[in-house]
Amino acid sequence: MIQIKNFYHRLVSIMDFQLIFSVIALVFISFAAIYSAGNNYGMSFKYLSVQLLAFSVGFLGFVLVASFNYQYYKYLDKIIYVLSFVLLFSVLIFGSVKRGTRGWFDFGFISFQPVEIAKVMFILSLASFIDKKSKETGKVSFLISVFLMLAGHIILIMMQPDFSSTLSYFPVTLILLFVIGVRPFYLFCIVIFSGLAVGIPFLETFLNMQLQFLKSKVFLTNFSISLKTGWICVCIIGMILFLIICGWCFLWELKIRVAFIYPIILCASILLGYLSSFVVENSLKDYQRKRFVVFLNPRFDPRGSGYNIIQSKITIGSGKFIGKGFKKGTQTQLGFLPEQHTDFIFSVIAEEGGWVGAQITLFFYFFFVWRAFVIAKHARDRYGSLVAIGLTSMFMFCIMSNVGMVMGMMPAVGVPLPFLSYGGSSIFSSLCAVGILCSISMRKHTHC
Amino acid sequence: MVWQKEDKFSYEIFIEKHKTVFIFFVTLFVCLFVRLFYLQIVKGDRYRKISDRQRMHNTYERAARGIIYSKDNNTVLVGNKFVFIVLFYPFKQSRFPSDKSIKDLNKILGKDVKFMIDMSYKCGKIIKLADNLTLEEMFKIREKKLNLNGISVLKKSRRVYYYPEATSHITGYAGEIGPNEIKKSLKHDYKIGDYIGKAGIEKVYDKYLRGKDGGWQIEMNVRGRQLKGYKYVQPKIGANVYSTINLKLQKVAYEALRNSSTGRGAVVVLDVKTGAVKALVSCPGFDANKVGTRDFNKYLKDKKLSLFNRTIQAFYPPGSIFKIITFVAAVELLNINPEKTIQCEGSFKLGNRRYSCWCKQGHNKISLFSAMVHSCNVYFYKLGLRVGAANLKKYARKFHLGQKMEIDLPNEKKGFIPTPEWKKTKLKARWLHGDTVIFSIGQGALWVTPLQMACMMSAVANKGICHKPYVVDKIVSLSGDKIYSHKLNYEEKIDLSDGTWDLLHKSLLEVVESGTGIRSKIPGIKIAGKTGTAQNLHGYDHAWFVSYAPAENPEIAMAVIIENGGGGGYNAVPVGKKIYESYFNMKSEEIVKR
Repeated sequence: MIQIKNFYHRLVSIMDFQLIFSVIALVFISFAAIYSAGNNYGMSFKYLSVQLLAFSVGFLGFVLVASFNYQYYKYLDKIIYVLSFVLLFSVLIFGSVKRGTRGWFDFGFISFQPVEIAKVMFILSLASFIDKKSKETGKVSFLISVFLMLAGHIILIMMQPDFSSTLSYFPVTLILLFVIGVRPFYLFCIVIFSGLAVGIPFLETFLNMQLQFLKSKVFLTNFSISLKTGWICVCIIGMILFLIICGWCFLWELKIRVAFIYPIILCASILLGYLSSFVVENSLKDYQRKRFVVFLNPRFDPRGSGYNIIQSKITIGSGKFIGKGFKKGTQTQLGFLPEQHTDFIFSVIAEEGGWVGAQITLFFYFFFVWRAFVIAKHARDRYGSLVAIGLTSMFMFCIMSNVGMVMGMMPAVGVPLPFLSYGGSSIFSSLCAVGILCSISMRKHTHC
Repeated sequence: MVWQKEDKFSYEIFIEKHKTVFIFFVTLFVCLFVRLFYLQIVKGDRYRKISDRQRMHNTYERAARGIIYSKDNNTVLVGNKFVFIVLFYPFKQSRFPSDKSIKDLNKILGKDVKFMIDMSYKCGKIIKLADNLTLEEMFKIREKKLNLNGISVLKKSRRVYYYPEATSHITGYAGEIGPNEIKKSLKHDYKIGDYIGKAGIEKVYDKYLRGKDGGWQIEMNVRGRQLKGYKYVQPKIGANVYSTINLKLQKVAYEALRNSSTGRGAVVVLDVKTGAVKALVSCPGFDANKVGTRDFNKYLKDKKLSLFNRTIQAFYPPGSIFKIITFVAAVELLNINPEKTIQCEGSFKLGNRRYSCWCKQGHNKISLFSAMVHSCNVYFYKLGLRVGAANLKKYARKFHLGQKMEIDLPNEKKGFIPTPEWKKTKLKARWLHGDTVIFSIGQGALWVTPLQMACMMSAVANKGICHKPYVVDKIVSLSGDKIYSHKLNYEEKIDLSDGTWDLLHKSLLEVVESGTGIRSKIPGIKIAGKTGTAQNLHGYDHAWFVSYAPAENPEIAMAVIIENGGGGGYNAVPVGKKIYESYFNMKSEEIVKR
């Protein structure tokens, strides 16, 4: 008994309190912001109590996960992956539909989104797979099996369909592959592939929206029309492929030997990217694509898809240096800001707390990410480092895309802001992830 | 530190990648920091303004414009009348006024006010229910205010011009601001629907007269529902303007002009000592109360040009009254013996053209003095040729011809003095002696305004000092502070020898005593003046009479013109006489009162 007590005492004493401190600070900012945002709907207490409940459940999860040795996950990777698969699969059958997405388990008083926790589980199993195969990173079969793992999740999530949740999988996977030492060239090809697959439909949507604004500019109009009809696009792709082959031949003549496989892979990824762009285009609805690109110029559609971005920018900007004061933000309290307690919670903070408040919040996030990186550096084994990096990238992606979206510099994908946004599943899974990070940091000297 | 079960090498590789990823993330954070700074600190003011604009809704209550007073007895020339209107305004968030309150309202008004709300109605919008309430109705509604939910009574001011035709060109008028004017006057923050002075004192002193609008400021949420309490700002009435106009004189002058031969013309009466405009009449006038109604359009199409302020905007040839300047130039420059006579045979031959005198038989032997008194053209033709066009122009400019008098009324014109250079460049013709000949009696391309002529007489009466004419004496704000008062000033004195002034004064006095201006003779008062009959290409001659009185100690100077009125002595002079009579009657009445 005393032994166990001593053991825990030792663990807790080397816990990363700075990380926990930043999380606690963010959670408190979240309580204040959600209270203020709910004021407009007269739901302050409901939102706050749900958030408090989620936080306490999440804290329980945090304690459990932190006290559990993360190294066991490495051996449980297959079970974890299958479990996450089952979760995602069962939500397609038993889940309830919210805003067109079948992604929720509804328990009456509270609902749960399994995607959030599935992400964390995916990182655990992926890190384990990569760690085990760390000697085979040069092989294409390794890459293929990683992407098959990824595809399993993506396909299930797209069937809900929940486009925005799938996005966070890609940067996490890429960064993990980069860290384990996969050649940057392969990663580059992957980026090109996915960039083309996603970029072409969105470019088309953007040009389509822009057309209404370009009646006078003849050249641009003609250009965008010919891009839309596709032939010019095919020509450009063909030309790029040709240039790549020529470049490779040129290097060969210069006696610079580049293996033949490289241009082939590059060309193949471009072609595949182009082809799969049609699939992406068909799988997304028109309003989704519009919402995604409207950040480039919200004035295209100020009352429709651009409305959220415009109002959010006004909300943030009007906060100025010290803000309008708690519960005094006019944009928030008069309801001009949409989705204020969930996706746009950062705007509420920036309006009512001003630049000072928003900057402090961002600093806490920065501090959190920095601590997570330190944990990754000092982890006991490679698996710990990989998991830490993976979780950090996930957080980073959420922060970046949410805060970027709110400030009008990123596409509008509805990614919740970790620790801040209202929503039980997000808070719970975020706290579990923090628990894993703590588990890694606590066990840097011990192996039990 | 090294990973468990791994070699040092792979850990070092990992640390390198770890660093790269970390730097990448820091860069992303820096992007967020910069963007946040840009939005909140750099663009903060702009976004704050936008956010205020989209939540604040203003409902204006127009401030009444200031009152314009006359000089004598401070009679109100332009004032305001208040009308009451009933509005539906749901301060208490009710979406409709209840049927009961509409019923009550109808009972009070004895009318059948229908209340309609269509789909476009947004909460917080104000709807006018009834117009032009009587005082009685207004008090009844106010009494029952508690029962009438969402209904309020509002006071609205309307501009009233009490002496519509006689003073119309001085007071001018105010009307709703046009879109072009809004653009021009952006910094004075006019908004659509505001009233702005469009002519006369109303235009020049608009910034004092207009006051500051009050109204309700309402905070609305995104659905257009009023949320928080409203702020009411009392409108601030504009400042009162005290003009220099003598209303009695103005009315007399207007009547006299209207009853003159053509009923078109202008009168300017100046205070010689200060330059204050005592009367400024352009006939026909207009009714400024009709601004914005259909009747006003008839003025726009009027062939008599009633909206045209003849005193400062119309160009007339001065005719014989220009002889004053020729006279002055000749005496100053040529050292003429005023008694020496010249033969006038009724016409003057130059080359193969004849320039005739108005008196067909001729004046026989005539001296400078009597040529002035009887307005002999032939004498002045010869005099003009000796003085030369350049000197005539020089003296004309000394008397402010061809220049603006800078009176505080809008759109003053400066007139024109012809010169040889002008003729060469514009008409591509040489300046001939014939041009000088007709220039010396004030014909040709010489254009003056009646105001300039009045100022010329005021300068003559003052021996060279010409005060800047003005119509507004002072402006007093509602709280009683004097926020503007006119300062007397004049440009440089017209420098002539005393002998010249004496001779001129004597001859001008003689004009009225025994010459062409004899019809304005008033017993007991000496008037000095000069008549003119100006030929013009477009019709009958214009009748001029310029004068000042009393001759020994001048008080007022005057210019009268009857457009196409015929001979100056027959038509313009009687108008002048009526004005003098009324002026000196008023003065003696004042003395008797004291």
